[in-house]
Amino acid sequence: METIKLCSSCGKPLAPNAPKGLCPECLMKGAFPSDAVPGTTNPPSRWTPPPPEQLRSHFPGLEITELLGAGGMGAVYKALQKKLDRTVALKILPLETARDPAFAERFAREAKALARLNHPNIVAVYDFGQSGAYYYFIMEFVEGTNLRQLIHDKSLEPRQALELVMQICTALQFAHDEKIVHRDIKPENILISKKGQVKIADFGLAKLLGATPDTSLTASQMAMGTLNYMAPEQRESSKDVDHRADIYSLGVVFYEMLTGQVPMGRFEPPSKKVQVDVRLDDVVLRALEREPERRYQQASEIKSNVETIAGAAGKSEPQSPTPQNPSAPVIYAKKKNRNEFLGIGAVVSATGFALFFIPHLWLLGIVVMLIGGRMTLIPVCSNCRKRITRDAEVCPHCAARFQ
Amino acid sequence: MTSAATSDKGPEHFPATHWSLVLKAGKNDTTRAQAALSSLCQTYWFPLYAHARRRGHHPHDAQDLTQEFFVRLLERQALASADPARGRFRSFLLAALNNFLATEWEKARAQKRGAGRQLVSLDFSAAEERFDLEPADPATPEKAFDKQWALALLDEVLKKLETEYQREGKRVLFAALRPTLTGARESQPYAELSASLGISQGAVKVAVHRLRQHYRDLVRQEIAHTVASPGEIDSEMRHLFAALAGS
Repeated sequence: METIKLCSSCGKPLAPNAPKGLCPECLMKGAFPSDAVPGTTNPPSRWTPPPPEQLRSHFPGLEITELLGAGGMGAVYKALQKKLDRTVALKILPLETARDPAFAERFAREAKALARLNHPNIVAVYDFGQSGAYYYFIMEFVEGTNLRQLIHDKSLEPRQALELVMQICTALQFAHDEKIVHRDIKPENILISKKGQVKIADFGLAKLLGATPDTSLTASQMAMGTLNYMAPEQRESSKDVDHRADIYSLGVVFYEMLTGQVPMGRFEPPSKKVQVDVRLDDVVLRALEREPERRYQQASEIKSNVETIAGAAGKSEPQSPTPQNPSAPVIYAKKKNRNEFLGIGAVVSATGFALFFIPHLWLLGIVVMLIGGRMTLIPVCSNCRKRITRDAEVCPHCAARFQ
Repeated sequence: MTSAATSDKGPEHFPATHWSLVLKAGKNDTTRAQAALSSLCQTYWFPLYAHARRRGHHPHDAQDLTQEFFVRLLERQALASADPARGRFRSFLLAALNNFLATEWEKARAQKRGAGRQLVSLDFSAAEERFDLEPADPATPEKAFDKQWALALLDEVLKKLETEYQREGKRVLFAALRPTLTGARESQPYAELSASLGISQGAVKVAVHRLRQHYRDLVRQEIAHTVASPGEIDSEMRHLFAALAGS
């Protein structure tokens, strides 16, 4: 007589051909890098979040109405903050995390960092703490949908996608300036309010839930299907990861927004799959570069490139750039209030491009190269493409104002 | 702390693994490459058999064709078309088998060149039983093949792991700790293990850690045998996990 056995890890029934009676899925998962030190908790593979009733005693100031969603990163509930009479989102972290004594300290530190992220495109953190066995955040409640839903419904036009990407870049740049890396950018974490405003959720949680700097969440994230969005250097080890991992993830999301698919293996550039501006290919591909050094180094760079392309998208005929044409190709610098320049790669192309249009700039470029023996950044006006000084507010040649 | 042998860290020393050996040897019949290929076939023949059965061949027919396919493979005929750039033994094998089924099998049936020869010892008696255990799989043949492949790999790893522990006289320890490979702490609380094994809980923790680390190393090693370069191990591992998760 055979009884159906269940896997004690994931709860699925064990097939008769399970290797040595062990659940093959969990076995395979166990083969991925996980905790390095005995005794640290593993991120739970399947965790059933408590029903609202069970939480009420833990949060007397809140009226918890419904469970909004759950995953390896915790569970989110809709709640009413009674005193302020405002709707909030209550996020509790899985019970497993609460058992690790070192966690409390990390939690407090991370929560304070997150509280600094005060930005319209980032889900705000109102409060945090520990109640009983739960660690919790009280956050801004976003009424709307998330990017996963939009992609799934196939209701994203390229124009909208560009608009959303720009907002995401703004949020990312803000966080990166505060030295905070998200580490888990994916469509599920990108909320969109009813007014069409992007709100990025779960900043810093990936780092918080990875027990030590050596621990990677790979197994749990793999179970959730988020490996697709992870930068190569992040998949290998979580130690040498910086903000450029977010840029990679953004690239994946961007690609998926445009084409409906995640870029895999030898994938085709977006313009070959859907009807989008061919210049977007370079943006997406550069964000998806394997080597962090070859990627965009700042989210704001992506934003300005996309902005340029989006600005030109309204025009019906392709136009060759003239000095008066604001739709100058993306390879020229757009001066922002933060004094950004082109990366070195772009200088090369700028120099090359200049060969056709501005001979004296080309000469200037050559001189720069010969003198230093190495490339330096040449700030140029995006309108007239003449050289300017770093901190100029107005172009001395064509009088264009820099924002 | 992690042992020096951990394979979680960066670029690893890549000893000549089976498939990379075979690819390098190409059509040249070196003994090492031959032995490597033989060893690979030994581990992964069942997915092929299952594939043949799924394609509608009767058990006896499937047995014959699997055997014949391997004979040809080991005679290097299929390898002439092995593209070194493609990299993975798994994909190569499936493609080669499909090709064989489409073109050669009809002809070969008449004159089974492998009759009587035993280049690879395949236990067909158990094969059909094992195949029966398979749920009627609605997945595509490729997905089903990959899933079988992953199972074969895990089987092989567990076998090797058990053998190693046996050699060190730790058979009982292995049997007790084996369930921890799937990560469940609740079903195997350290207190219980400590009591039943007669060692401290701290010792249990260390033993579990070592076992899991070793297991991970073996999985990576086993996968390494089927890919052409170390860079592919991670993605092959993810692919196999996805194949299992789809069930």
